[in-house]
Amino acid sequence: MADAAIFYDGLSARRRAVSIRITSSSLDVEEAGQWIASWPVGKVRRADAPEGVLRLVLQDEPGLARLDIFDGALQSAVQAACPRLHASNPKEKIGRIVLWSAAAAASIVLCVLFLVPVVAERMTPLVPASWEKRLGQAVDNQIRLIVGDKICSDPQGSAALASLTARLRSSNPAAEEIDIQVLDSRVPNAITLPGGKIYLFRALLEKAEAPDEIAGVLAHEMGHAHHRDSLRKLIQTGGSSYLFGLLFGDVTGSGALVFMSRMLVDNAYSRDAERAADAFAGQTMTDLGRSSAAMAHLLKRIEGNESKLPAFLSTHPVTDERLKVLERLVPREQGAPLLTNQEWRALKEICKTS
Amino acid sequence: MTTSLASTIGPAVPEAVPMSFSGRGREFLKILIAGSLFQIPTFGFYRFWLITKMRRHLWSNTQVAGEAFEYAGTAKELLIGFFIALAVLTPLYLAYFILGLMLEEKHALASIPLVIVMYVLAHFGSYRARRYRATRTIFRGMRFWMTGKGWAYAGRAILWDLATILTLGLALPWASASLERYRMRHTFFGTLQGDFTGSGWTLFKRGVWVWALGIVLVVGLPVGFAAFLHKQGDPAGLWANLTPPFIILLAFLALWPIAMAIFARWQLEGIRFGEVTVSSQLRKRAFVGVFLKLIFSSLAFMICFGLGIALVGFIFKQQILPLLVEFNTVFTHDSELVRESMPGIATVVVVAALLYLVLLLGLGVIQRYFIGRGLWAVMVNSVSVANLPALDAAVAAGQPSGVLGEGLADALDFNVGL
Ligand SMILES: [Zn+2]
Repeated sequence: MADAAIFYDGLSARRRAVSIRITSSSLDVEEAGQWIASWPVGKVRRADAPEGVLRLVLQDEPGLARLDIFDGALQSAVQAACPRLHASNPKEKIGRIVLWSAAAAASIVLCVLFLVPVVAERMTPLVPASWEKRLGQAVDNQIRLIVGDKICSDPQGSAALASLTARLRSSNPAAEEIDIQVLDSRVPNAITLPGGKIYLFRALLEKAEAPDEIAGVLAHEMGHAHHRDSLRKLIQTGGSSYLFGLLFGDVTGSGALVFMSRMLVDNAYSRDAERAADAFAGQTMTDLGRSSAAMAHLLKRIEGNESKLPAFLSTHPVTDERLKVLERLVPREQGAPLLTNQEWRALKEICKTS
Repeated sequence: MTTSLASTIGPAVPEAVPMSFSGRGREFLKILIAGSLFQIPTFGFYRFWLITKMRRHLWSNTQVAGEAFEYAGTAKELLIGFFIALAVLTPLYLAYFILGLMLEEKHALASIPLVIVMYVLAHFGSYRARRYRATRTIFRGMRFWMTGKGWAYAGRAILWDLATILTLGLALPWASASLERYRMRHTFFGTLQGDFTGSGWTLFKRGVWVWALGIVLVVGLPVGFAAFLHKQGDPAGLWANLTPPFIILLAFLALWPIAMAIFARWQLEGIRFGEVTVSSQLRKRAFVGVFLKLIFSSLAFMICFGLGIALVGFIFKQQILPLLVEFNTVFTHDSELVRESMPGIATVVVVAALLYLVLLLGLGVIQRYFIGRGLWAVMVNSVSVANLPALDAAVAAGQPSGVLGEGLADALDFNVGL
């Protein structure tokens, strides 16, 4: 047969015009009548080549020898002679890829649902208080970006808040340092940052009708601070968003999906954390001889008034169970009011001046 | 077919042969669309297979004097590279985070933000990724390969980036020339060493007008416009806020392909392998054409997509409206109502997420078709290779290299090209 093929021996880039003799067992490559190679037909495979070219390689060969066949008739003859020509490109097993991807996704979801909470639980006590403070600082900056920067600091109101804080802390001398501030925001909410900083939002303060209601909310938040719930949640959110980020790695615009998953998984403290914070609040209020149920009444009142559920309630749903637990905690003897009428009025007006 | 023997090289006339790209657009589009769709049920993991297929198509249809390249990388390698990159990056993230918490001074680490670490890794990764691709490129029965150190390259690249920033981009030609020289001199075809002969000065002369125009547009135009509006007595109007960014965007869109074309031609023309030289007739308008096609196709796709949704919504409005009403209960925060409407909410969320994915994947297909394939074809077809017989002297050498660079590129989301 005429020179209808080019042979590259894999040792040099020399282009060798060759002819091919097809026998039942091998393709014999000859250059100018000289034998140079024999390729067993069972080991000949096809490699990528442009249209009209049949590029052959030898399976299991360490070198990169290539045989390019241009002649159409020779191509068909070779194709007929080599039974396993296409075996090097096994049908891509899309089913298997889908299966493994699903397995990877499932394992990540399982990690987020079960492993991450456990890890967060175990890690939280290991984090030194100074780290937690620094984390809290970073979160604080974020919160102020989102909610606004205005801290209410009317002097009389601040004094009232300080005295309320002192009263609340007095029943828990073991409780860590607490810093309570009022943030000028129209969202009725209260949040605790890692490191024990508590923000009471103006709107929640305005909705309150008695000092005990606010005291209850603050005591509840102090419970979160005492149990380091905020830190735990932060570790959990960080871990799960990193894992989800892995999963949606490169499908562009994955940010939205990641965010959604985060919202679904981490939008509130766990029920147990809420129950523990309630218990802490109940204990604090009972020790002070005040009603624990006041907080629940405040929440109930907001819930009844608004068509939209305020932020604090969406993370702190007032379930009947919670109400019952709080109402059962009645102090044995009535304690002194936590704030005087004058102080209470000042506290309510803390955002008015300045 | 002409045959040339090793003995015939010598001082023969440098006969230039054209390179050509023979891939069919439809075939590439098929790869892209199927690959993009497969990414949905595989949570994006199929991207490794898609990229491998794209490269195989592009490489095997790129020919020099009728001899085609071949891409020998596999999707599994890319997947492994991704896992290795994760194994490198995850402890790095953690260590960085914990270190930031441990250090007493508040701003101790603010001077080395994570972005900088990632930036260094990106340069390192881009070199290693190029090495991966070179060693998976086969031509005439031999592989390309690379020496050089990813870190050495990253160091150079960082210093040059600094110089470029300090000179407002004027140092860019010399930076590109130096880095390209480093890359090409460490690239081998068998025993044949590569080189890069393009000079920074040449690139500067060709591109300085684009740079100057860019500076004028970015700095001069908003200032001039503001002054103009000030005279009109409406300095804070909507137009004053919207027009300059809009003009800058347009100018950028117009200048970008031109700058890319100038750069690509200069880069192609500098390539040497031993005696083998490369020349390019790349035209700026070819690049501009590809970009125009990209922009108009994207716009057309988005319009069709929007119209399609509107049409489907109109035809099935009886079925869709109640779903949307149910979905709206999400905003009421009424847990009872939300629980009752769960099927509707779930349907809306899933459909919206799918539509969003389809839109993104569609735009991705268009972008890869024109930028990935279109520019590639234009560049390949512009090239002529002289002294090709000098390749005959090359002897096989080099080994396939590791895949960390590609993994880093994928995990850090920086572009290393195809
Ligand atoms: Zn709570």
